[in-house]
Amino acid sequence: MVTKIVNQRQPTLGGHRRNKSKVKIDHLWMPAAALLFCILPLVYDNHHFQHVLILVFMYALLGQAWSLAGGYAGMISFGHIAFFGFGAYTSTLLFLDTGLSPWLGLFAGGLISAMFAVLIGYPLSKLRGHYFAIATIALQQVVQILFSNWSLVGGANGLSLPLKSGWGYFQFSSKLPYYYIILGLYALSVLVTYWMIRTKPGFYFRAIANDEDSAKRLGVHIARYKSLALGVSAFFAALAGTFYAQYVLYIDPASILNINMSTIIVLVATLGGAVYLFGPLVGALILIPISEYARAWLGGTGRGVDLMIYGLLIIIIVIYQPNGVMGWLQRLRNFRRRPGPTGLSIQAQQGKP
Amino acid sequence: MVRKYVGLWILVLAMAVILPGTSLAAGVIKIGAVYPLTGDVASTGQECKSGVELALDIINNSYDIDIPFAKTAGIPSLGGAKLEAVFSDSQGSPQTGISAAEYLISNNGVVAMVGAYQSSVTKTVSQVTERMHIPMVCSDSTSTALTERGFHYFFRANPNVTIGAQDQFEFLEGMRKQGHSINRIALVYENSEWGSSVAEQEKICAKKYGYEIVADVPYSHSTTDVSSEVARIMDAHPDVVMENSYVSDEILYTEAFKLHNFTPPALMSWTGHTDRSYLKTVGPDADYFVVLSEFNLAMAKTIPAIKQVNDLYRKKFGHDLTENAVRSFNAPFVLADAINRAGSTNPDAIQKALTETNMSAGIMPWKGIQFDQNHQNQYASLVLQQMVKGEFQTVWPPNVATMKIVWPFPGWGK
Amino acid sequence: MENQLLQMVVDGLLMGSIYALIAVGMTLIWGVMNIINFAHGAFLMLAMFLTFWADKLWGIDPLVSLPLVALIMFFVGWGTYSTTVRKVLTGPILAQLLVTFGIAIFLVNLAVFLWSPDYQQLRGTLISGTWRFPLFVVSEAKVVAALASVVVFAGTYWWLKKTRLGRAVQATSISKEAAALMGINTERVFGITFGVALALLGVAGSLLCNFYYVFPSVGDMFGLLAFAIVALGGFGSVPGSFLGGLMIGLAEHLGGLYLGPQYKYAVIFIIYLGVVSIRPKGLFGW
Repeated sequence: MVTKIVNQRQPTLGGHRRNKSKVKIDHLWMPAAALLFCILPLVYDNHHFQHVLILVFMYALLGQAWSLAGGYAGMISFGHIAFFGFGAYTSTLLFLDTGLSPWLGLFAGGLISAMFAVLIGYPLSKLRGHYFAIATIALQQVVQILFSNWSLVGGANGLSLPLKSGWGYFQFSSKLPYYYIILGLYALSVLVTYWMIRTKPGFYFRAIANDEDSAKRLGVHIARYKSLALGVSAFFAALAGTFYAQYVLYIDPASILNINMSTIIVLVATLGGAVYLFGPLVGALILIPISEYARAWLGGTGRGVDLMIYGLLIIIIVIYQPNGVMGWLQRLRNFRRRPGPTGLSIQAQQGKP
Repeated sequence: MVRKYVGLWILVLAMAVILPGTSLAAGVIKIGAVYPLTGDVASTGQECKSGVELALDIINNSYDIDIPFAKTAGIPSLGGAKLEAVFSDSQGSPQTGISAAEYLISNNGVVAMVGAYQSSVTKTVSQVTERMHIPMVCSDSTSTALTERGFHYFFRANPNVTIGAQDQFEFLEGMRKQGHSINRIALVYENSEWGSSVAEQEKICAKKYGYEIVADVPYSHSTTDVSSEVARIMDAHPDVVMENSYVSDEILYTEAFKLHNFTPPALMSWTGHTDRSYLKTVGPDADYFVVLSEFNLAMAKTIPAIKQVNDLYRKKFGHDLTENAVRSFNAPFVLADAINRAGSTNPDAIQKALTETNMSAGIMPWKGIQFDQNHQNQYASLVLQQMVKGEFQTVWPPNVATMKIVWPFPGWGK
Repeated sequence: MENQLLQMVVDGLLMGSIYALIAVGMTLIWGVMNIINFAHGAFLMLAMFLTFWADKLWGIDPLVSLPLVALIMFFVGWGTYSTTVRKVLTGPILAQLLVTFGIAIFLVNLAVFLWSPDYQQLRGTLISGTWRFPLFVVSEAKVVAALASVVVFAGTYWWLKKTRLGRAVQATSISKEAAALMGINTERVFGITFGVALALLGVAGSLLCNFYYVFPSVGDMFGLLAFAIVALGGFGSVPGSFLGGLMIGLAEHLGGLYLGPQYKYAVIFIIYLGVVSIRPKGLFGW
């Protein structure tokens, strides 16, 4: 079952009986995929492959975080990397200066990032669509410049974490613990997204995204819900930030507060389908391995061919399937059930049991 | 529908598996090389690559040049086994550097690593190699912090920024002793990892030797225009301008200084100034800067091997050796020496041999290559040079100078 | 700092005029089509390379090749619109934002592939002198570029206000539906707008080649500045982008002089954030 949350509550005509066996098969793919992802790094015990998997889920987490604000609430942000950076810097600084465990730093980073997001969410809530997008770019630039010149956070030199090993330090010499941690964080973000979308905030987000003026007239407190969306989104982006810091052990503004990484987050979410629950994961599953392996094969020649392919891919996807890969899969599924003009299955339309 | 997911994944897996994963093939020793082959500093990255390629050519074949491993072919103690460099693009990003290093180690079975030019990338690449117990020899990154992390598998053959700043100020002290009045220093540096770490060291030295920093001008490397930076510098009326820029910014500054006819007693710079792109673009305007450098062709007067190596390089690549190429040229020799003494390609054996390195510095004007307890080459040092009529000449220290220094800066278009 | 103040103001206004010329194309595209052109910087780079190679290969001075480059860029613009941009205009906002982004990545790396990442610069162009005044110094190339930018800008404004086609463009940007009802071929207007915007970039790029170096990523910062200018001046407002350009140019130079060059871009973006939180549509936007 392609889990597009928006469709979940659509009424069905005539009270048709669900094809029970079909439902069972549909629901099986989720645990099957989960199992696959759990055993994948064990099956192919290659460090680079495991590294790619880790990147996939880190970007899936970032994309998922982004989709909360950008997909469901329509707040298209190109500056999300700032939240990622806040998470990374918070946990790293806390560890270096006070020895606080990176695990606690993980949540501290999330909270600080969320607080900051809510703070700027209020003034930025007046902006919509393209205006908001550019404001987020401005924000990203300002944050990057400020961090590059602020000695407290190491300025342009960045911060290095000492090489250690062990759960207490949130550092491991094998990649497997890292992988399962990021897998877990990603799963958490999916659960939270799923829960949020089915409850009041989620409906308000989508109302704001679809028609902000009408939502306002109906009494939805725009600023509050926009800030909430941004805040939760920032929280999860920050989790990814701390994870990155503990994985790479070196953070500096040039590499983790730059606009390119920020845009990749947007691409991951939209390629997969920003309003689909597993859209960001699909986006990450496609983009990240392609970019990693294309660079490995072609990049050594140094002529930018891998990135040209990247650019073309974006253009093609965006023109021919703007709802992302998941949108395309959904169309296929609907097509297979031969939908009538209302998009429902023929059985349902005819009201047949 | 599930099939579509699995299909994609099988495709990816297939791609990952088909990739060449050979470890030591008979007679070939693979070494990983991570450099910024695309991105902002790609031209430099390509120069670094050319340096490594030349080094391997000399090591693997027999040439009548008086530097280690030139006369022999391959690694003697391993029956003439040849070194092969596998390059991977860091794109100038520390994150990508990790992927590059992982790929080289896991899928290409490299037994050692060189790279990565940018200190921030070298930081992350060396973390990977440290965790994977692969020895890494760096001869082109200058951040001092790299050799202060207590890593066992990381070695640096070239001088770091602490040494660099020290050499600059010893030069200034030398000029003071010759009677020149020097007190006011303007620091201008690109505001990322490299530039700011150099500036930090220069500030420390200024304090130590009693100079006043009258302008502290960090700037963004991607700036489109430097007029406000130059305004600040000129306003401070410095005796010496110490500039730490990459290529594109160096071009902007040189042109801006010329535009304003800015002629302090000395204009000093470092990395960007020896890059071919820079020299080609500004032409004669590059003359008379006092440039901190590890190498110039004028050194051939005291090290004849330089001329032979340069001839080889020119035959292969169509132009003279540059400082960037020379820096990266050194690391493979250090590895060849260690592998030879270890008599094995086992990474741990190589690491142990590296700690015991005590070899000639080849075409570098150093006393030798020997690592201190931080794995920093204790004999690494820099010289100061000036370009006159298109050729760099060493002007300091006096014992290796090939030309008397032109001080003060004579002006533009002279 | 006082003796540098006038120099900074002059430099700020000169560069500001050029920034304005770069930004006006973006504001036209936005006003008419509601698309933010993320590939603006990349197209500027393309124009610069065209100019560069015309000189390098055939000895054509940038001032001479300027009209030709502008014409070529016009067709590049129309072509880009017809083949890619047109197809996403009816889609979700995200698609519109991303298609130009994809074009940007493609163009920049095509440049890397074709012309290498090296920095290259023209030497000895027709206008490479220096003019020295008592209190400040300017390079001939920059002054000519700034003046030309103002002239072209004024020309564009006149075209929009006084010619039939220009007024059609204006009408379409106010309301596409109404314009269509009035018999305006909106498709053609879109194509022409995109073409004109890129032609303006052609002019700007050609002028920049007289004193700036070219390399594949040269357009990045100019593109970012263009965002700030367009948003500051108001999306869709041509006079707004001129004023915005001058403001940004001044802010960059004065901010750099007084607050520190490392903060000059932060100053620009903070000003932008300040303005849009008070007036979300920019100073003159609609």
